Amino acid sequence: MATRTKKTNGRANGAAHYAIDVGLLQERAGQVTSSAHGIARIADAVFEGSEVQLRSLDEAAGGLHQMATSLTQTATQAESAAVSTEELASSVNELSVSIEQVSTNTVNLASAINETAAAAQETAASIQSVTTTTHDMATAAQQVATSITQMARSTKSVSEDTDSFASAVTETAAAIEEMSRSIAGVADNANDLAVSAEETSSSINEMAASIEEVGAMTESLGAAVDQNSSSIEQLSRSIQSVAENGRRITDVVTSAATSATQMERTTSSVAGLAKQADELSRRVGRDAEEGGAAVQKSMQGIGRLRDSMVQSATVMREMGKRTSEISSIVDTINLIAERTNLLSLNASIEAARAGDAGRGFAVVAEEIRNLADRSAKATADIAGIIKALQEVAQDAVQATNDGLRVADDSASLAETGASGLKKILTGVGEITSVVGEVSRAADEQRQASQSVVTGVAATAEQARLVAAATTEQARAASQIVQATAQMRKVAQEVAKATAEQGNAARDIIKAAQGTTRTAALVRKASAEQATSAANITQAADSMRKGAASTSRALAEQASAADQIAKSAGALNTMIASVNKAMSEQSTAVTQISNTMSGMRRDAEMAARALSEQSRALKEMTGATQNSAAQIKRITQANREHSTVSGKMVEQLREVRRITDRNARDVSETKGSTAELLKHAADLVGLVGRGANGARGGSNGRG
Amino acid sequence: MSASHTVQGLETYILFTVAGTTYALPSRDVRHMEMLEGVTRVPNAPPFVDGVVFSRGQVVPVVNLRVRFGFERAPYDLRTRLIVVQSAGRVIGLVVDSAREFVNIPPTAIQPPHEALAGMSGRYVEGVASVGERLILTLDLSRILKFAENLSMDLSS
Repeated sequence: MATRTKKTNGRANGAAHYAIDVGLLQERAGQVTSSAHGIARIADAVFEGSEVQLRSLDEAAGGLHQMATSLTQTATQAESAAVSTEELASSVNELSVSIEQVSTNTVNLASAINETAAAAQETAASIQSVTTTTHDMATAAQQVATSITQMARSTKSVSEDTDSFASAVTETAAAIEEMSRSIAGVADNANDLAVSAEETSSSINEMAASIEEVGAMTESLGAAVDQNSSSIEQLSRSIQSVAENGRRITDVVTSAATSATQMERTTSSVAGLAKQADELSRRVGRDAEEGGAAVQKSMQGIGRLRDSMVQSATVMREMGKRTSEISSIVDTINLIAERTNLLSLNASIEAARAGDAGRGFAVVAEEIRNLADRSAKATADIAGIIKALQEVAQDAVQATNDGLRVADDSASLAETGASGLKKILTGVGEITSVVGEVSRAADEQRQASQSVVTGVAATAEQARLVAAATTEQARAASQIVQATAQMRKVAQEVAKATAEQGNAARDIIKAAQGTTRTAALVRKASAEQATSAANITQAADSMRKGAASTSRALAEQASAADQIAKSAGALNTMIASVNKAMSEQSTAVTQISNTMSGMRRDAEMAARALSEQSRALKEMTGATQNSAAQIKRITQANREHSTVSGKMVEQLREVRRITDRNARDVSETKGSTAELLKHAADLVGLVGRGANGARGGSNGRG
Repeated sequence: MSASHTVQGLETYILFTVAGTTYALPSRDVRHMEMLEGVTRVPNAPPFVDGVVFSRGQVVPVVNLRVRFGFERAPYDLRTRLIVVQSAGRVIGLVVDSAREFVNIPPTAIQPPHEALAGMSGRYVEGVASVGERLILTLDLSRILKFAENLSMDLSS
């Protein structure tokens, strides 16, 4: 009994020492695991951010490239633009739905993360309680050690020579040998652990370097994104000004359409007026020809009139001459009449002188005088008539001369009129031809202005559509600006996460160093344990020698055994609580893993939603490409955009290169983290095995 | 002679006009009448004497009655007549505007001239006769010739 007690004492001593090391190791392993999980989470987040960034960059680069292309191609077919705009609208709707889904998923993710946090807190609490329990266990183990020391003192008096004791000692020795082997295995494992910890440390250093690199790249990425963002804002402003110009163009084109319509009306009225003028000038030409013929006729008439006037003047002059002749004849007759009168008077005087004898003569003389008087009277009448006739003839000659002059004047006037009419005819001919040309030109003009009206209307429609498309473009550009802002935010978050990663890496390095130190401690403890085992073997020999005194101490031993049993019970209780805490811990870990899987599911959903988003954005991009394809021919200002876009594409390529490297580094980080996790798992497994070995040794003794 | 001029109790007269007025001379005082063709002007003759003519073998002084009666002179024409008169052995030619009629005027138709008229031309006018509707002044030849007496004698001598 005393021998057994002593053996137990030596083994219990080693087990207590070992239990402390295991606690430390478990603690460090837990730290490493949690840090590795943290790194994995951060790396996932970074990877996700990088993917988002990549997609954003692809999208932005594609959008920019297509925008650059589209900016050089805009307008032409307004209907396609309208259709594209509708497609764009539906795509944007899809995008908004997808984004809503994403936001929902993100809410879920947030709640999952909250759960994870709660679980982690629980885990922390559990680990705390485990630590407390371990402390309690250590105290209990010390109590057990004290009891065992007391028991050892009483065992000295126990009788030495007992076969059963010897066989127990032999069993104990065998157990100690087993334990020694186990310790050697622990030492080997500790060596492996040290190697693994060094490997982990080096890989962590690598990872830290990679993380530093990622941090630097993220900073340059942030700068590039800032630059990009300002370029995109410039582009957006430019597009807005283009939209403004498009609206102005629409206004101008609308007023041009009004002007064209007015012009068309005016041209139509001009054409009508030209036709009227044509008819009028033709009528004037006909009238002028008729007038010319009339003038010709009147000229001929005037010529005939002149001839007859000349003739009549001649006749008149002849008549005057004849009248003068008549007048001289009449004078002669008158003279004869006067002489006859005179003769009759003288005859009468002579007859009167003759008295009665002259009476008959007197009567004859009287009759002769009467006849003479009558002929004188007649000649006086004739003379008066002839005088009147002469006056009339003179007047007639005068009038004829006047008439001749008038006829000559008329003839010259008629000739002037005829020549004027000829000129008029020529002018009217010219006018007619010119008016015909004007009429034709007005017709052509009218047709042209109609086509202008049609064209201007089409242009107005195009311009309106272009303005609408440009407005859509502006909206898309502002969305791009928003996306860029989001990208910037993501970059900042990535930077933050990278910083956290760096911190975590530093923590891990610290933990790894701690692990290495602990492994060294374990190795040292194992060596001490081996020495102790040797000591125990020696003690077993001396135990065998002092077996005689064992019986003496048996009574004390019995009481000490009771105490030991009590302490062992307490120990068992402690260990049970440790187990319970460990199971709680495992439950919490399960919960964590469940939550993580939920998180992963959400992340997958988010990824799916994002891929939908990406598809919708690709559609949008296609639509925008269509819009852009029609915008090309509109404005040369777009070339500026193209240049800016080219620059931006370059920058985006730079960003993309950086992001690719980033993603690669993150992948490396993930790989390192996986390795780390594996090492941590190995460590945990080793520690568990060590703990089991220790417990197995103890149980084997029992 | 005288008796024949008063046949049947009627005195015959030659009617002539001077400046629109018709005068009458008894036909017994008239030797004959001529158309006036050429007048030979004579020096130192009074104004009313146009000159002399040679008529029927005798030089006859020509007295312009227009001038003698105080009217303005008129040129001779076809109707101008030279009435050759004789009184108390003296022959004188009287130039008148015209003389175309030989009429009988009863003495009852002749009235003495008005006193007012007598004062001015009463020396020549014997009376005023009305023939038909016309007023005719009958002249006293002797009085006409009286103031030309010397002239007549001068000329006849």
